[in-house]
Amino acid sequence: MELFTPDFGLVFWMFVAFGILFLVLWKFAWPVILKSVDERAELIDKGVEYAQQAKEQLDNARNEAQQYIAEARRQQADILREADKMKLQIIDEARSAAQTEAQKVMDNAKLQIEQQQKEAQQQFRNQVSDFALQVAGKIIGNELQNDKAQEKLVDSILDNMEDNK
Amino acid sequence: MRLLNRLTANILRSLLPVALVLVGTVAAHATAFDMDTVEKVPDNADSTVVAGINSAVAALDDSTPAVENVTPEEHAETAAEEEKSAINPKKIIFEHLLDGYGWEVPFDHHHRIPLPVIAYASDGLHCFSSAHLNHGAVYQDGDVTFTVGGDESKYPGKLVELVNGEEIRPWDFSITKNVCAVFICVLVVGGLMLWLASFKRRNGFKAPRKGLGAIEAVVAFVYDGVIKPILGPQAKRFAPYLMTVFFFILVMNLLGLIVIFPGGANLTGNIAVTLVLSICTFLATNVFAGKHYWKEIFWPDVPLWLKVPLPIMPVIEIFGMFTKPAALTIRLFANMMGGHMIVITLTLLIFIFSAISPVAGGGATVVSLLFSIFMLLIDTLVSFIQAYVFTMLSTIFIGLAQEGEEHKELEEDHGHVGKAIEDTLI
Repeated sequence: MELFTPDFGLVFWMFVAFGILFLVLWKFAWPVILKSVDERAELIDKGVEYAQQAKEQLDNARNEAQQYIAEARRQQADILREADKMKLQIIDEARSAAQTEAQKVMDNAKLQIEQQQKEAQQQFRNQVSDFALQVAGKIIGNELQNDKAQEKLVDSILDNMEDNK
Repeated sequence: MRLLNRLTANILRSLLPVALVLVGTVAAHATAFDMDTVEKVPDNADSTVVAGINSAVAALDDSTPAVENVTPEEHAETAAEEEKSAINPKKIIFEHLLDGYGWEVPFDHHHRIPLPVIAYASDGLHCFSSAHLNHGAVYQDGDVTFTVGGDESKYPGKLVELVNGEEIRPWDFSITKNVCAVFICVLVVGGLMLWLASFKRRNGFKAPRKGLGAIEAVVAFVYDGVIKPILGPQAKRFAPYLMTVFFFILVMNLLGLIVIFPGGANLTGNIAVTLVLSICTFLATNVFAGKHYWKEIFWPDVPLWLKVPLPIMPVIEIFGMFTKPAALTIRLFANMMGGHMIVITLTLLIFIFSAISPVAGGGATVVSLLFSIFMLLIDTLVSFIQAYVFTMLSTIFIGLAQEGEEHKELEEDHGHVGKAIEDTLI
């Protein structure tokens, strides 16, 4: 049947035409087209990968930045606390220094006062013993020798009096 | 998904002209026949393919009054033998399905676009216009008389050399309608691909838009979807052949759906065309086959008794080498021819029913037209699917013949898919 009988002429021309088409496209078209299709696929793959990496990096960077900020805040707080502490300390130190200084001055003053008191007492004692000897001499009539022994006696009397007080 | 959408959109867009052309053809036939009420002659179809149509028509035959039919074309051929001629569905169908020496012009049954006839006859090469052979005319070129074989001839519809009243078939290298259509397809495919290539060369990574974008989408669809997954590292090597085959078949299929010049040639529905393509696949499979492939054929991994005294398995395997391309040939041929035949038959139904009564004719026109449009839509889809299937099966055959460890995986992964699709489509 003619429908199922391949026609010689058509087979011949088909071979020729298809052969030429194949050779031409094989040489001039397919390498370029297929290469571009491949390369574009690769480019897209790489692009996606790159975008993912970039996103990752961005996320990382954000995290890092947040970490840095938190760190800075902490340091700031630390520094502030430190400063506060230092301030109090300085004030304390100053206060204690002032106190000691004041104490010293007061002690000195007390010491001086005591000294002066003692000196005054001594002076007063000397005068009293003097007076007492003179008074006793006048009373006895005889001028008592203002010697050491008498003075000692008066002194001891005065001591006794002081002790009895 | 986007790719599919793009494809569908493009296919749908391409369908509009097809539908328009279809309407045009029906109109053309209608003008050719409308003056005459038509009677159908029961024809002695030896063709099993049209037997169904004929039997359907024969049932109507009793009620049909015998009226004259004056198709101009048929008049010329049959006027001598019979006053009352009729539509001969088999003849019309075959005229559309088979090759011819001229190319039909719409709305005109007298004239055809003349094509060169090239023949190597008994006395050497002859070359003349096919216009000399129109409607069975006899043409004297030099010392040799040529004509086209009539229905009773040993070579119906073919160029023959008349020697002492006997018909001898010369070596016929004529640029027939189909050959011319092959050339047109070559130009179209070559042009499109070189265009795409030059775009790529100029623009590098830039993606083309519109028409070129659609072509590139199909390229990527076939290359990334079929060739690369099946052939793997070998893809680069065989892709040029497979891509050429795919686009060549696709363009031939689609051009075949367009009824007027430069389309209308039933190319992929011609066994010569599909035969050549599958011979190419056969060569690509066997020439580049690895050692493994030949071992599988001559010393397959089966019990010894299956191959030693009687080489049962090797014989089966060798047979299988040839059934694969044969299946390729027949599948594409039968699918595309079937589609064409259905559309022609549907169109013919209009005239057959018109012969019964105008009302039946009117009804048949509407129904046939709707069915034809539906069939052409399906054929457009089939055009793509068949090109895809041919390419995919070629890829699988080539892939299976390639040596290496991937052989087994390939068989498992794609063998089933291929078989399944094969089974559904044939």
